[in-house]
Amino acid sequence: MDYFFIIDFVQSLADGLLFGTTYALIGIGFTLIFGVMRKLNLAYGAAALAGTYVGLGLFLTFNAPPFVVFLASAIGAGLIGLVVYYCCFRFTPEAHPMASLLASVGMLLFLEEMMTHVSHGMPHPYPSVLSGATLELGDIWIRGDLLFVFGICVVAMALLFWLLYRTPLGLATRAVSQQPRAAQLCGIDSARVNALTFVIAGVLGGTAGAMTAAAVGILSPIIATGLTVKGLIVVVIGGLGSIPGAIIGGLLVGAAENIFLLLRGVTERDIYVMLLLFLFLTLRPGGLFGSAATRD
Amino acid sequence: MLEIRDIHTSYGKIAALKGVSLDIADGGLTCLLGPNGAGKTTLIWTIAGILKARAGSMKLDGEEIAGLRAPQIVGKGIVTVPENRLVFPEMTVRDNLIAGSFSRRKDKGGVARDLEEVLERFPRLRERANQDAGTLSGGEQQMLAVGRALMARPKILLMDEPSTGLAPIIVEEIFQIIGQLRDEGKTIFLVEQNAHMALDYADHFYLLEQGHVTFGGVPGEVDHDELIQRAYLGARKAS
Repeated sequence: MDYFFIIDFVQSLADGLLFGTTYALIGIGFTLIFGVMRKLNLAYGAAALAGTYVGLGLFLTFNAPPFVVFLASAIGAGLIGLVVYYCCFRFTPEAHPMASLLASVGMLLFLEEMMTHVSHGMPHPYPSVLSGATLELGDIWIRGDLLFVFGICVVAMALLFWLLYRTPLGLATRAVSQQPRAAQLCGIDSARVNALTFVIAGVLGGTAGAMTAAAVGILSPIIATGLTVKGLIVVVIGGLGSIPGAIIGGLLVGAAENIFLLLRGVTERDIYVMLLLFLFLTLRPGGLFGSAATRD
Repeated sequence: MLEIRDIHTSYGKIAALKGVSLDIADGGLTCLLGPNGAGKTTLIWTIAGILKARAGSMKLDGEEIAGLRAPQIVGKGIVTVPENRLVFPEMTVRDNLIAGSFSRRKDKGGVARDLEEVLERFPRLRERANQDAGTLSGGEQQMLAVGRALMARPKILLMDEPSTGLAPIIVEEIFQIIGQLRDEGKTIFLVEQNAHMALDYADHFYLLEQGHVTFGGVPGEVDHDELIQRAYLGARKAS
């Protein structure tokens, strides 16, 4: 194997791992919602992107600075997450899990349609940070904007862990996800915890959407499907319900995607990512950290 | 004092409680006996606000509490130790206990004092304070479930089948804890299959059969053997 190939390989791996943190955030969002409600919210990726469009709106209308745009994307996605909760989950009967699942599919299509309508189906410029800078480690060049994306996603995860393990709200969230009935008997209002979880997951998704757009400098409505599918692949690999699983899964998908890109080109990349999904579903359907099956 | 009057609870079209009335007196152990399927757990879930009564009234010191949701019931001081313990398996013993104090989380000093008190009461929980609750034995989980309920500073403690699935020697220990709580003046409503044990500790008892309270009294004033037979087998005994 020649030297340049190894350099290319390591370079792809590094870029993939850095960008994989956005997939990890999306995976964490799916997992958080599933954790407290035992229900899949298929509108999650679209809601995250819709929030990113809120940020874009500020950018295009007021030429808002990047950090304001990113923050607005995160908060916007959090609020849209709350709307999704009330429309698709809050009032659908517990006994009919299909009702909320299909409602979330409807919401996915609705949000996609809205974004296509608002953006006229065209890509728009989205602010990025440190896009010119590079960090040179020998022959490996790390893009500044990817480092920024990585940094923001890591901060978002750290904040989530602080929230989950250091605050009363986090304790309540963990309690509801592990034993919802007992949580109620402890005086925890599970409906409120569910609503807040949708907001928190939404904020993480909006952050991921903002960072995805910032990494390429462009926001397009067509990536809603990509975010949804990648997020689902991440949770299948990591194990639905496991946050560490979502992080590892995200990094793995990010890295694998870039390696496939290097070896097989951009047109075949997603084919191999899908094959990876089927490989996991067949050989390890519970994922790497599967916890969903162990619940009583 | 909790006065329960003519409570009806159904699962869909199936009536589980068909007009239950009983009193839970302050500072004593009231015990509810009855065979499987009589509706004992349904009554606990109804008082706790998890199930909604179709009709009837529940008055806590004169205040109507029927129709309140579970977190509000906890706020009123009625706290449940559920059947099968239902601890939070992937949370530490300490976090399980702190979760129990959720309804009064603003009172940080009080919560810290109560945590210390519960760990004092159950030394085995202190030893395992940083261990995940899922790794505890059945008896330890039962202690944790009791400790978690105490963290809410209950006026009335509802206990649903605390002896289920435990070895006899552990059951003995659990009942000693219940007796100790009663001696401290706590108000306890105990639902039990283990009628022998329950009657040893109860100040007052009721018998629930097929969704009705069919009998009530003070242990010692009645023929225990007859009562225990009905508690296990129901009214339509063959003998």
